[in-house]
Amino acid sequence: MKLLAPLRVLMPFAVLVAIWWGIKSGAQVPDKLLVAPPAVWASFVYLVTHGILAEYASASLRMIGLAAMISFVIGVPLGFAVGTNRYAARALEGTLRFLQGISGIAWLPLAILWFGFSNTTTLTIVIYTLIVPIVFNTMTGVRAIPENYVLALQSLGAGRLRIVRDVYLPGALPSIVVGMRLGMGYGWRALIASEMLVRQGGLGDLIFSARTFSQIDRIMVGMVVIGTLYIIVDRLLVQPIETMTIARWGILRR
Amino acid sequence: MAEKIEVSGFRHFFQTEGGPVQATGTIDLSIRAGEFVTLVGPSGCGKTTLLKAIAGFITPSEGSIVCDGKPVKGPGRDRGVVFQELAILPWRTVRRNIAHGLEIARVPRVQRDATVTRLVGLMGLVGFEDRYPHELSGGMRQRVAVARTWAADPEIILMDEPFAAVDAMTRLTLQEELGRLCVATRKTVFFITHSVEEAVFLADRVLVMTKRPGTIKAVLDVPRREAGGRDWDSFTSDPVMQKIAGEVMHLVHAERV
Ligand SMILES: Nc1ncnc2c1ncn2[C@@H]1O[C@H](COP(=O)(O)OP(=O)(O)OP(=O)(O)O)[C@@H](O)[C@H]1O
Ligand SMILES: [Mg+2]
Repeated sequence: MKLLAPLRVLMPFAVLVAIWWGIKSGAQVPDKLLVAPPAVWASFVYLVTHGILAEYASASLRMIGLAAMISFVIGVPLGFAVGTNRYAARALEGTLRFLQGISGIAWLPLAILWFGFSNTTTLTIVIYTLIVPIVFNTMTGVRAIPENYVLALQSLGAGRLRIVRDVYLPGALPSIVVGMRLGMGYGWRALIASEMLVRQGGLGDLIFSARTFSQIDRIMVGMVVIGTLYIIVDRLLVQPIETMTIARWGILRR
Repeated sequence: MAEKIEVSGFRHFFQTEGGPVQATGTIDLSIRAGEFVTLVGPSGCGKTTLLKAIAGFITPSEGSIVCDGKPVKGPGRDRGVVFQELAILPWRTVRRNIAHGLEIARVPRVQRDATVTRLVGLMGLVGFEDRYPHELSGGMRQRVAVARTWAADPEIILMDEPFAAVDAMTRLTLQEELGRLCVATRKTVFFITHSVEEAVFLADRVLVMTKRPGTIKAVLDVPRREAGGRDWDSFTSDPVMQKIAGEVMHLVHAERV
């Protein structure tokens, strides 16, 4: 059964590839619109063996990693500050919802004017995209903690720091992880979009420059890699953390 | 004996969006050191509000609250609280919940473990030390909450219907244990309950509140508890006790909402 599991996940992809191949050869689609899977595979091998893919992909991964770290370090304390203060929470809730409506990409024109076509622009956009769900979810998580938990600890002689450590942090952790996971999803998309415009490396840059030379094979390799990397980061990194915290705390909370 | 808790001219309003809500009438009350005072009254009359004010969680709209001669400014470890709704931490094991107060007070590990072992035995939680609250029954969780407050060893214990969620059988045992423990450790206890029998069984003094906004309507003295605490068998066959219980019942009935 265990061996069948990856098969079940990969099956739909195989079907997808089969359909793609079928359309390509069945309808005789010209190469400048769509190439066959073997051509994409060849291009993939070329990009890998020449180290090109590694360079562009690692640029994207570094950027999302850096942005995630910064967003976490700023977003979580900010979420706590807002979540523990009823007035701040009420005042900021609307603002946060409003900002959620303006996607990171909508900030690109301004960011380019401010920081030029640079990595700073991309970093700013990705942090912005990531940080909103982190702040929002941390805040929601903190506010969902029963007040009695805090009061009980105060009567046991706990100070503010102790309450943050023993109540707010473990209590809000499942929400923080959910915020982080959402943020990574949004952030990854914003990253690719920004790279396409900024053109300073990264997978977005790779597929957008391939367009200039009509390298459809290369564009498709890029797209597949973008999707695959997202799944890898999400499934192998973020989801295990989520499962772990929810198993230990989230369910316990009910 | 010295007054441990003094409530004078207390009245409280909650500020809500629809304007202030009166939670209690004017309340005067004093509790001596080592005394066990129980409070009964109809739902919504302001019992929890009064308890929270003594605990220091809310600042009274009117009047003053003094504990040990010092005005109450906020919560403190001299006043332990057992809440009406569950307040033990779901992400801590039974052991770590019970030891939490000691951990905060930086009591060494060995001593902490000794206290936990003692209380776990007393509360009938042996074998569950390393379980999480969601693995316990409602009654067991409430016993953990009582043990946690007890472990921190406060001079004053404020309890808000601590046994409401406990099954009837266990409740009888816990009530007897609590009575014994309080006499032995000379705790000053303020105990809210809906049960008239429980109120009389545990108390040195029973307070009865009027309906919302509540004031204290009657105070009944209960003859001194024996050194070993009371037990239910002698309580139910003691005509003096039953007479007091009848009186309290009568007073409470008149306040039905
Ligand atoms: N935070 C609050 N905001 C507004 N009103 C409140 C608040 N807490 C309590 N009240 C109101 O104050 C009154 C007294 O509440 P309290 O909780 O003290 O009652 P109680 O005697 O403990 O009732 P019960 O026996 O049901 O626990 C109630 O009418 C309640 O609606
Ligand atoms: Mg109440």
